[in-house]
Amino acid sequence: MPFKNIKAVPRKEHITVSFLVEQLRDKLSLDIRSCAAESSCNDRMITDTDLHRPGLAMAGYVDLFSHQRIQVIGNSERKYIDHIGEDVCLKAFHEITKFPIPVIFLTDNNMLPDAFLQLAEEARIPVFQSPMETTRFMFLVRDFLEDQFAVQTMLHGSMVDVYGVGILISGKSGIGKSEVALDLVERGHRVVSDDVIILTKKSNVLIASPTDINKHFMEIRGLGIVDVMSMFGIRAIRYQKRVEVILELSLWDESHHVDRTGLNRQNTSVLGIDIPTINLPITPGKNITVIAEVIAMNHLLSHYGYDAALAFQQKIQDRIAGKKTGSPVMQRAVEYFEGDLE
Amino acid sequence: MVKKKVTVQHEAGIHARPASIIVKEATRFASEFHIHMYGYRINGKSILGLLTLAAEHGAELELEMDGPDEEEAMKKMVSLFNNGFRMDEK
Repeated sequence: MPFKNIKAVPRKEHITVSFLVEQLRDKLSLDIRSCAAESSCNDRMITDTDLHRPGLAMAGYVDLFSHQRIQVIGNSERKYIDHIGEDVCLKAFHEITKFPIPVIFLTDNNMLPDAFLQLAEEARIPVFQSPMETTRFMFLVRDFLEDQFAVQTMLHGSMVDVYGVGILISGKSGIGKSEVALDLVERGHRVVSDDVIILTKKSNVLIASPTDINKHFMEIRGLGIVDVMSMFGIRAIRYQKRVEVILELSLWDESHHVDRTGLNRQNTSVLGIDIPTINLPITPGKNITVIAEVIAMNHLLSHYGYDAALAFQQKIQDRIAGKKTGSPVMQRAVEYFEGDLE
Repeated sequence: MVKKKVTVQHEAGIHARPASIIVKEATRFASEFHIHMYGYRINGKSILGLLTLAAEHGAELELEMDGPDEEEAMKKMVSLFNNGFRMDEK
């Protein structure tokens, strides 16, 4: 199994605050204004995916304070300052600024009193303000950070989108993965990556993409390297696709046990996510491309609630149960042939 | 399974031609061949995989052979790396 020894590597160890702010403005079109210590954005690092609301810390309790996280000050924290009194809270805030906090975000157009901003400026902790409501802001930033710090791994195989189903074709080198992928492209499907696939785990979904070097190149034995995009056009490629089925190709071996009914579904755990796996031995006369299409359609059918193997099994069980009540042993599908009609 | 660290001696790094030589030699052996770099593990019998590494002159890679002829395959591969991918011996 090629998935046993894979090692997960975090995509990035850290990002700078300036990168985060730039990306949030650029990619998520967030309105973010700087309030303090903008100059230190380049050397403040974010290493944690989670965000933190420093309510307890602002009340003076800093044991177990998650200072390494992005701090978000929303309505309740801001109201608390007014409630308890600026002078009292300022002392607690002074304690907070002694921690190496990467950045503070003020959401919902909240603003800290000048004395607070002064403390942040002195501690060189960047402070930004955004009009977006707190929960929405935290959701967007968290999703962005999850993508930045996602664990990923590199895998040998081919990834193709067949009827919208992401099929990862794996198997030993030389078994014909690329040829199957090329055949699928010819039949109108879209290739994500060939030979080298980067798998990224994001919110319990496995996303496959090519690397920046191999994107849309393919190696065909005996021919060399071909460029799928310039040959087949934009319709033949995709940048990313969720991995939904693993198709493992192997050489036929008599001792090999294959599932004959489709009732015993196998799963492979990749980066901790279970992916349905189909083990397909290659035998003469087998058209893997057509089988890949059938796998995709079967996956769609079961996704929409119809499992052919189960439906068939149900039919057999009904017949066996019906025998006791005297229903016929075996029946022709058509009761009476009315000439040569449908 | 045998593992060994090697350094890229070839001046231009592992570009298309050295990669094709590595793959060509690796596929002559039954053993599975993987290369470790940047914490990733790529299949050494895949030319696009090798090229993705874009290993430069002086880069350190770890080779991993696993199979019936692993010792022999490793010896061949290490000598290939050490003489800068010249295929002098047949």
